[in-house]
Amino acid sequence: MAKSFDAVKKFDVIVVGAGPAGSMAALKLARESFSVCLLERGKLPGSKNMFGGLLHNTPVLNEMFPDFWQAAPLERHVYKKVLSFMTPDSAVSMTFDNESFDQPPYNGATVFRPVFDNWLAQQAVSAGALLLCDCTVEDVIHEEGRIAGVTIKGRAGELRSNVVIAADGVLSFVARKAGIRNDLKSADMGVGIKLLLGLPEETINERFHLVRDQGADISFLGAAGDIRGGGFLYTNHAAISVGLVMHLESLKVSGKAPYDVLNEFLQHPHVSRLVKGAVPLEYSAHLIPEGGYKAVPPLYTDGLLVAGDAAGLCYTNGINLEGINLAMTSGVLAAQTAIEAINAKDYSAQTLSAYKTKLDSSFVLKDMKTFKNSAGMMHLDRLYRSYPRVFSNIMEKLYKVEGKPRPRLLKLFRKEALKEVGLANLISDGFKIGRSLL
Amino acid sequence: MNIENLTQLTQFIIDDQPHIIINKEICRVCDNRVCVQVCPANCYSFDEATKLLSVVYENCLECGTCHVICDKKALDWAYPRGGYGVNYRLT
Repeated sequence: MAKSFDAVKKFDVIVVGAGPAGSMAALKLARESFSVCLLERGKLPGSKNMFGGLLHNTPVLNEMFPDFWQAAPLERHVYKKVLSFMTPDSAVSMTFDNESFDQPPYNGATVFRPVFDNWLAQQAVSAGALLLCDCTVEDVIHEEGRIAGVTIKGRAGELRSNVVIAADGVLSFVARKAGIRNDLKSADMGVGIKLLLGLPEETINERFHLVRDQGADISFLGAAGDIRGGGFLYTNHAAISVGLVMHLESLKVSGKAPYDVLNEFLQHPHVSRLVKGAVPLEYSAHLIPEGGYKAVPPLYTDGLLVAGDAAGLCYTNGINLEGINLAMTSGVLAAQTAIEAINAKDYSAQTLSAYKTKLDSSFVLKDMKTFKNSAGMMHLDRLYRSYPRVFSNIMEKLYKVEGKPRPRLLKLFRKEALKEVGLANLISDGFKIGRSLL
Repeated sequence: MNIENLTQLTQFIIDDQPHIIINKEICRVCDNRVCVQVCPANCYSFDEATKLLSVVYENCLECGTCHVICDKKALDWAYPRGGYGVNYRLT
């Protein structure tokens, strides 16, 4: 017989999902002495979670943990940023080594999610939150016109609260059960797949030119053949995380299986050298909300707030790929809004709308708004197919020595760009890219 | 490097209750069966002889790709019961 909850349990707030958004929300609430129940469907927080590998520097982390960079279970802080444009047989890379990224608070660090997410959830527990693992939410409880709690799959009884915070990830069943999200659109989603590969620490240091806890973050554009998406490689202490993010619609059109595309990527001459001798440790996959600002769903309703991936708070403009920092910040802002609602004893959508105002004035929705046209730009197939070829052809012609007269550079650039892309496309792409980034 | 059977690297706590139910009749006549192609864990297969789509839910990474991409609404897809399913250790 499955365990049941004693009839009804009541909390100030129920947080669904002990990921970065949920645990930060629970931590904030518990520190302010509110009763909070943090629900996690995995055996432990983080056991269902996956990302590329980079935890960004996030102001709310530094505020909640003054000693964050010493206390948290981090792998390597990112010192080296590399952007590589890939064609099937070449790579044009730009490397940025920066001493300021070598001092705390670091610009970012690689983490293992089952380790980091569990640590973060345990901080909420230490502050007084009740963490219940092995709990998948079955449904939300509607009462008196608001969301008033949840039920758990396979268990009798109810968990009730004044406010529910849905931090249950990209698929957010809670937001859908609550009726504020419709079916998810594949046009707004990317799938990330990742292979964790073991490599000795010394090999990583030598191969990526790193010392101590320094790490590298390499992004690859044009890494998935003709599929819109990119590749990534992050260094951990004694393992590297290598993977791809592919836009779902583009993956579908390609007719290819994701793992075959990953294997092709691993065999690219530039990548195979980086992963040589590594031992496969774990394979994982996860969806990513890629719709950007225009795809952000409703963020609240009566009795409910939505945070993190569940709220589509994630964006990329081709250079920045941010989600976990937006998630943690939204978790804290959701908790602050819940506290205001509890103090006012008013859990209506009108009161909870303060959450949207908070997000609007924080970097979370500001950055997403600034790059609101990027999601559209990232749908340009030429970004992944043609432009890496243009760069590669230019580099080849710039460096090749064969005793023939050289053209002036502008002429070379013009010729290569027109050859691969064509004038009309160059103008329209330039306009699109300019409109999203400049 | 070329790795077959990637999901063998990943740990699963297998539930005896499946969390994905296929509507066999819809899938029998589906014009794309894109689930078979896009699943990162290769969970789906279609038997041309019997015209049956089947799923190995035991290897599911719970990413939801099939759930989002199926345009026939033929998959009854939910998260497994608490504590069951994929169990990442490092990632």
